[in-house]
Amino acid sequence: MGAPTRHMDCRNFAPIDVVKGICHLSKERVQADDASCPSFDRLPRCGECERYSPSDQQDVGVCRATPDHPMTYPGLAAVTCEWFRWRGR
Amino acid sequence: MPRKLTDILAEADAQLEYRSMGTPPEEPTPREIKKTPSPRAQRLRDLYFDALSSATSEFPYWYTRAYMRLDNEIPVVRRALALESAFRHLTPTIFPGELLVMGKTHHLRGSFPMPWLSEGYYMAAEDELYQEALARGSASADEVSSFGMGGGNVTKSFGPVVSIAGKFGIRKEEVPMMLRTARDWEGKSVDDVGHKYEQMTPGYEIKESLMRSVTCMFDSGYTLPQGREVINYYYPLQFGFDALISLAEAKKRDVAGRADGDGLTGMNRLYNYEAAVHVLRGVQAWTLNYAKEARRLEAIEAERKQRDEYREIAECLEWIARHPPRTFREALQLCWAVHVAVLNEDAISGLSPGRLGQVLWPWYEQDLEAGRIDEEKALELLECLRVKFTCLDCFASMGVVGGVLSGNTFNNLSLGGLDRSGAPASNRLEELILEASIRCATTQPTLTLLYDDKLPESFLLKAMECIKTGTGYPAIMNNRTAIEFLMGQYGPEGMDLEEARAIAIGGCLETSPCSWMPLSLNGRSYSIPGGSGQPTSVGVHFLSLPKILELVLFDGVDQRTGLRVFPSHGRSLDRHEEVFDQVKLYFAEAVEVLSLANNNQHDVWRKSNAAVFNSLLKPDCLDSGHLINELGYRYNATHNVETCGTINLVNSLAALKFLVYDSSSFSLDEIRKALGENFGFKTADEVGSFSLAAQEKRGSSTKHDRIHLACLAAPKYGNDDPFVDRILKEWEDWFCAECRAYESLNARPYYACQISVSTHAPMGAVTMATPDGRLAGTTFADASMSAYAGTDRNGPYALFASATCWDHSQSQNSQLNMKIHPSAIHGRKGTKKLLELTRAYMRKGGFHIQYNVVDSRILKDAQEHPEAYRDLLVRVAGFTQYWVEIGKPIQDEIIARTEYEGV
Repeated sequence: MGAPTRHMDCRNFAPIDVVKGICHLSKERVQADDASCPSFDRLPRCGECERYSPSDQQDVGVCRATPDHPMTYPGLAAVTCEWFRWRGR
Repeated sequence: MPRKLTDILAEADAQLEYRSMGTPPEEPTPREIKKTPSPRAQRLRDLYFDALSSATSEFPYWYTRAYMRLDNEIPVVRRALALESAFRHLTPTIFPGELLVMGKTHHLRGSFPMPWLSEGYYMAAEDELYQEALARGSASADEVSSFGMGGGNVTKSFGPVVSIAGKFGIRKEEVPMMLRTARDWEGKSVDDVGHKYEQMTPGYEIKESLMRSVTCMFDSGYTLPQGREVINYYYPLQFGFDALISLAEAKKRDVAGRADGDGLTGMNRLYNYEAAVHVLRGVQAWTLNYAKEARRLEAIEAERKQRDEYREIAECLEWIARHPPRTFREALQLCWAVHVAVLNEDAISGLSPGRLGQVLWPWYEQDLEAGRIDEEKALELLECLRVKFTCLDCFASMGVVGGVLSGNTFNNLSLGGLDRSGAPASNRLEELILEASIRCATTQPTLTLLYDDKLPESFLLKAMECIKTGTGYPAIMNNRTAIEFLMGQYGPEGMDLEEARAIAIGGCLETSPCSWMPLSLNGRSYSIPGGSGQPTSVGVHFLSLPKILELVLFDGVDQRTGLRVFPSHGRSLDRHEEVFDQVKLYFAEAVEVLSLANNNQHDVWRKSNAAVFNSLLKPDCLDSGHLINELGYRYNATHNVETCGTINLVNSLAALKFLVYDSSSFSLDEIRKALGENFGFKTADEVGSFSLAAQEKRGSSTKHDRIHLACLAAPKYGNDDPFVDRILKEWEDWFCAECRAYESLNARPYYACQISVSTHAPMGAVTMATPDGRLAGTTFADASMSAYAGTDRNGPYALFASATCWDHSQSQNSQLNMKIHPSAIHGRKGTKKLLELTRAYMRKGGFHIQYNVVDSRILKDAQEHPEAYRDLLVRVAGFTQYWVEIGKPIQDEIIARTEYEGV
C-alpha cells in the first residue's frame, strides 16, 4: 500500500475549507489531513494520473496529456479532466 | 496617566455628544426582533460560520493553461476558450442539505486569484513582484489596510495553510503552482500592460504620488474592473442555454465576412459570437458537472430523503443547463448559476441581483397557482439563497478587499420601486424576501428598498421591521431622486422615464441603469427588470478630501511621507475663498491625471480581458454582436469620481473660516503648527484606537489645548447651521458639475459618487489632524452625509436639513448612516416612527439613509469578547458585515457614531 490516506483525498469528502470538510457517508465533519476511514474512495488527482510526471520542484510536475506538456501540480483534482487515467490501473 | 481627549473636554466643560435625544436604558438593550432560519438554512449557515476564506489554484490553472497555448488567436476568442476550459474543469462540491447548489470553487467559501488582471499583490511581501507593486504605488493602500482577525479571515499562516492577500488561506502544496501561474502573467497582466501605458499619460508622476500618499485609494482597471452594476438574468431565463448557443451560432452565419457599414468593429461581431458560444458551452458543462456529482451522491446516499434531494438537484441542473426554467426553484437555481458564472469570469465586487423578487415573480405566481409551492417552501429556498450569497468571497488585494470593502461582496438586492407604468412594483415575493432576510440574517444579499411614496404602507412597515433586526438592511434609496439622476446621466443615450423606472442599485449604493425585458411564461406576458449598463462605479476611486485639504495647507506636500504630491501652489491662503479655491484646483488636477490613467487601464482591460459572459447577458449585446468593449451595452456613461471624507473637509473649511478668517482667533500658521504636532496628541496607531474620543495626549503638556478645543467647538455640519451648510452646498454644487467635465474611455461624461464604503478608515489612518479637531490617524466621518461622530447635537431633523441643502439628484448617490438605540423604536409604534423618520428624509430629497439599530455597549462588549458574537451584524457604509470580520478602525468608528436615543 502507498502513503496513508487522508480525508481530503477521498471522493466523499466535501471540503468546507482548506482544513476541514464533511464526509458524505457519515455526514460528520472531518479534518482534511486526518487519516481516512475504510470506506476511502480515492479522489482523482493529477498526481494519480499515468500522464503526470514529477519535476525537480516539489509540488510541481508536468502533464503529458497534451502536446505542449504544461506544468501542473500533483494535488490538482482531476474529477473533471478528460485526460485523466489512473496510474497502474 | 496620559490625558485623554475626554478628560480635556470635561475640564473645559465641553464634550462630544455621542448620545443624542436622551439617554439609553441602564442595561444594554438587545435588538427587539430576532427570528430563526429554517433548520436547513440554519445548518448551512452554521457551516458558513465555521468556514475559512479558502483560495485554490484550480480556475487560474486551467484558464492559464488554455490561454498560453493560444498565441495569435483573436483576443476575445482566446479569452473565451480559456474561460471555457476553466469552467469545464472546476471540481463540483455539493454539501448535504443544500437545495441550491454551485459555488465559485469546490470550497464552501472559496475564491481564487486572477493573475491575468494583476499578479503581484498576493505574493509574499518579500517577493520581487510584490515589491514592484509597492514601488509603483499600486500596493500602497495594502500597507495601511487591515482585516478583522476573527470569523473566516485567514490573516496568518498555520499548519498546512498559507495566508495570502491578508485574508485567504491556501493549501501550502498549491503555493508553488500558484506562484508559477502568477509568473506566467508577469508583464502580460492588465496591471502590467496598463502600467506600461498609463506612464505615457500627462501628469503620471502626480498620479503615482497620489497613490503613494493614499490620497487616492485604488485603480479599478485591474483590481475590480467590473461590478457595482446590476446583472441581467433575462436571456437564460427566457431562452435557456441551448437556445442561446443556437442563436449565437446563427448570428455567426449572419455576420461572418460582413462589415455592414461599420468598418471599425463590424467584422468583430463574428469573433464576439464565437466567444459567446465557447463561454456558454463552458458554463453549461460546469452546470452539468454539478448534475453528475448530484447523481453520484444519489447513488451512494443511504438515507432516502437526502437521496431524493440529490435526485431533485440533478434533475433541476440537467434541465436548466439546457432549457429555460419551468418552476420557481429552477429559475432561482438558474439565476444563482448565472450569478456565480459572472463572478468567476472577472474580479468583481458589487454584482447585484437587482429586483430579484420582480424577476422571479412569474414563476412564483404560476407555481403558487398550480400548487407546486407554498410560502414556507419559498422561504426555505430564499433562506438557502442568502447562505449561498454570503459564502461568496472576492479575491483582490488587501487594500481593496480589506481597506475598501471590509471583506464584503455587495450583492445588493433591490425591492419596491415602480413598474414601467408608474404603479408600485412591490409584490408578495418581495415580502417573503424581507421575511427570509429577517429569519436568516446574513450579510448577503444586502437589501435596498427603492422608496417611493406610492408603495403600500404594509410593505414599507415590513421593511422597517427588517431594519429593526439590526441587520442594517434594507438601505433606503429615494426612487424619485434616482430616476432624476438616471434621466440626466443616460438621457443622451436614449433613456426615457419608463426605462428609468427599471432602476436598481448595483454594489452598495450605486444607482444603476436597467431596462424592462419582455418575458413570456406559459402563454402569459410579463415585463421584468434587469441591468443594462456597464459597471457603474469604475474610474477615479477614492479621493480623500481631507488629504487634499492637507495638501493645500502644506503647499502640495504629504505630511506623512514628505512626498510632494502636487506642484507648489505658492498662495498665501489669506482668505477663506482662496483656500476653497485651491482645494478645488488640486481636486481637479487629481481627477484629471487619475481619469486619464484609469481610462488607459480600463482600455487595456477591455482589449484583452473583456467580459464575454456578463456581456451577453446585457441588452443589447446579443442583438448587436458587440460586447462591453465595443459599447454593446445599452448604457455606457458609467464612470465616476468617488470621494471620501466630505464632512471632515466641510467641517474643516468651516473651522478655518470661523477661527482664522472671520474671527481672527488664530492665524493660519498657528493652526498649521498645531495640526503638524497633532494638537499635542499621540498618533492613533500608538493609542491603538481609531476613534477621536479615545485619543491621548503626549505627555502632560497642555500645549495646543486651547486651539484644539476651539477647532472642536467651531460650527459643525449636521446641525442645520447655515454657516456650515453653505460650504457643503458650494462644494456639492461645484463637485457634481465638475465631474461631468471629464471624459471616460467610452467618450461619456464622468459623474459624482459619494460613498465611503470602508475607505474612511485607511484614508483617515494616513491623514494628519484636520482643522475640525479630528486627530491624526483617526477615521473620517463615515459615508458622505453622516455627521462626524458626536457633533450632531440638534436631532435627526436638523441633520436632515443640513444633508439636503443641495440637490442630491446631481450625484449617483449620497450616503447617510444613523445609529439608533433599539429602545427608541420599540414596538409597533416604534416601527411607525422609523418609517416616518425615513419618509421625512426622502421627502426632503435625501438620496439614501440606512440605520444601525444597536446599543453601542453591546458593540463594545463584542470588541472585547468577539468569540461570543460570531453572528453579530452591523451596518458599515452601504453594506452589512459580521462584526468579527471588520478591522478595528472601522469597529471603533461604528462605536463612536452618535447614538440616537429617540427619534
